[in-house]
Amino acid sequence: MRARPGFLLALPAWLWLVVFFVVPVLQVVWFSFGRKPGIFGTHDNSVLTLDRYAEALDPTFGTVFLNTLWIGVAGTALCALIGIPTAYWMAVKAKPQWRGLLIALVMIPYWTNFLVRTIGWQVVLAPEGWLSTALGALGILDGPLEVLNTRGAVLFGVVYNYLPLMILPAFVAFDRVDPTLREASRDLGAGRWRTLFRVTLPLAAPGLFAAVILVFIPLMGDYITPSVLGGAAGSMVAQLVAVQFQAGQNWALGSAIAVILILAIVATAALGYALFRLVALPFAAARRVKLGAP
Amino acid sequence: MNRRAPLLTRSPVDLVLTIIAIVVVAFLFVPIVVIVIHSFNAGRLLIAWQGFSFDPYVVMLQKPAIRSAVGVSLLTGVIAAVLATLAGTLAGIALARRPGRWAAWFLITLLLVSVTPEIVDAIALLPWLVTLGIDWQMPVFNNGIVRLVIGHSLFSIAIVSFIVRSRLVGIESQLEEASADLYATPARTFRRITLPLAMPAVLTGGLLSFTLSLDNTIVSSFVAVSGSTTWPVYIWGALRGGLKPEVAAVSTVMFVLTLLVLALVALVLRRSGDSAASIARTLAAG
Repeated sequence: MRARPGFLLALPAWLWLVVFFVVPVLQVVWFSFGRKPGIFGTHDNSVLTLDRYAEALDPTFGTVFLNTLWIGVAGTALCALIGIPTAYWMAVKAKPQWRGLLIALVMIPYWTNFLVRTIGWQVVLAPEGWLSTALGALGILDGPLEVLNTRGAVLFGVVYNYLPLMILPAFVAFDRVDPTLREASRDLGAGRWRTLFRVTLPLAAPGLFAAVILVFIPLMGDYITPSVLGGAAGSMVAQLVAVQFQAGQNWALGSAIAVILILAIVATAALGYALFRLVALPFAAARRVKLGAP
Repeated sequence: MNRRAPLLTRSPVDLVLTIIAIVVVAFLFVPIVVIVIHSFNAGRLLIAWQGFSFDPYVVMLQKPAIRSAVGVSLLTGVIAAVLATLAGTLAGIALARRPGRWAAWFLITLLLVSVTPEIVDAIALLPWLVTLGIDWQMPVFNNGIVRLVIGHSLFSIAIVSFIVRSRLVGIESQLEEASADLYATPARTFRRITLPLAMPAVLTGGLLSFTLSLDNTIVSSFVAVSGSTTWPVYIWGALRGGLKPEVAAVSTVMFVLTLLVLALVALVLRRSGDSAASIARTLAAG
């Protein structure tokens, strides 16, 4: 195991990923510059064109892109708003001996089938479902609950589905902050809020940002949640891609939509990172003062 | 820390935080509880409750389509997990212990695999498998299980590589150096020192791969051929025509199995000396 074998050890995984991931994805990029040749063909690259990208961004599909971006940003924000305080409580406030159980309780839903969990919400939110009956019995609601097959239902579904993916990394981020630094901050006269904003949050920030990205990326490409809960009103880009490849048999257009989706995810994540650096900048000065902080 | 921190601390802010956390954890279990309850539904459709009955569990055992779908899922899950764990472990060790100039390129590949939406994997793989299997006449790629294993292994290889890498990066390589100084061959050092050190991560990664494979719906529904329908694809197909309660029954059985496996892993990891927090850290590394 001298210099070369390092590369050799990684080779099986790398070759596998190149053959079954890199090459097929490059093929999709190639398809996206082609066109659909008549009713029976799926793709044709004899003339290269950017027309499919123009087609993908016209208002018919453009609204679905905006819808997806809205659900992606709002869903991630809600996950952060709910997940980060929960993770903070688990890592800092809850008794240490409870932590194992709490982590298990967050992990169990995450390891349960995604599709089945989403169907569980369909059962709850249906017009004749439990929530509808309960709200009706309490007199809060007059008539059946009409949330299923709306954008709101999709937003609700994605917040639920990706919440564990926010809580677990955020927990790790808070858990890594040395408790003695918090104690030192309190001993030096800082109140609990000041300690939170000047010590705990700045130290956990990179991990929290990673958690946000970890939620945002798969959320933008979600296909199952909008299919089960969204109906026609709450459709997302992944469904457009699937339709073009299956019923539409228009691989060129489907590929262009897929490429735009990936670019949109990367661009939004990069924008988020830039904003994060901008917000984190004022805290950086406070960070430098601390002794022995990582 | 000999102060005992009570679960409910004094400050009202902490109290609010505690309540939020408990509500959130309860919220995570709502759909699971609903599915378990509806697995005892006497009605014809999953969604409409018609009274209590064990019938869904009887029907579940009788339907050949369900048995076959669960069988395909388990078989694919095991093969995909073994494959991803082997390839990912080697790659993770290489990244942590012998990174060269290649490592940056490899990491970019892994990163791309892990951020690409599943639907893109699905639409990319389908034409490619057809090219390989039919145009280039390699009949293995027309086999349903092979196609599923390929589709499920991509993300899992990346995850296992990341988990194993982050575990080993956290441990100094002095033990391996000592072993080499004591004249152990590289192969022996690998087998006796590096692999045991990486073991908790390997185990977690393997299990995660298995679960991800069982969970996979989108890639499976694209690449599957007739006769190799997985369990999620069965549900997906039944979704439009109205789900039957036996779907909830199978899901409940699988949920209980997941609990058992998770408990087993927690036990193994605890014996290897990991605290709950470090288990979470291992898992979140992906």
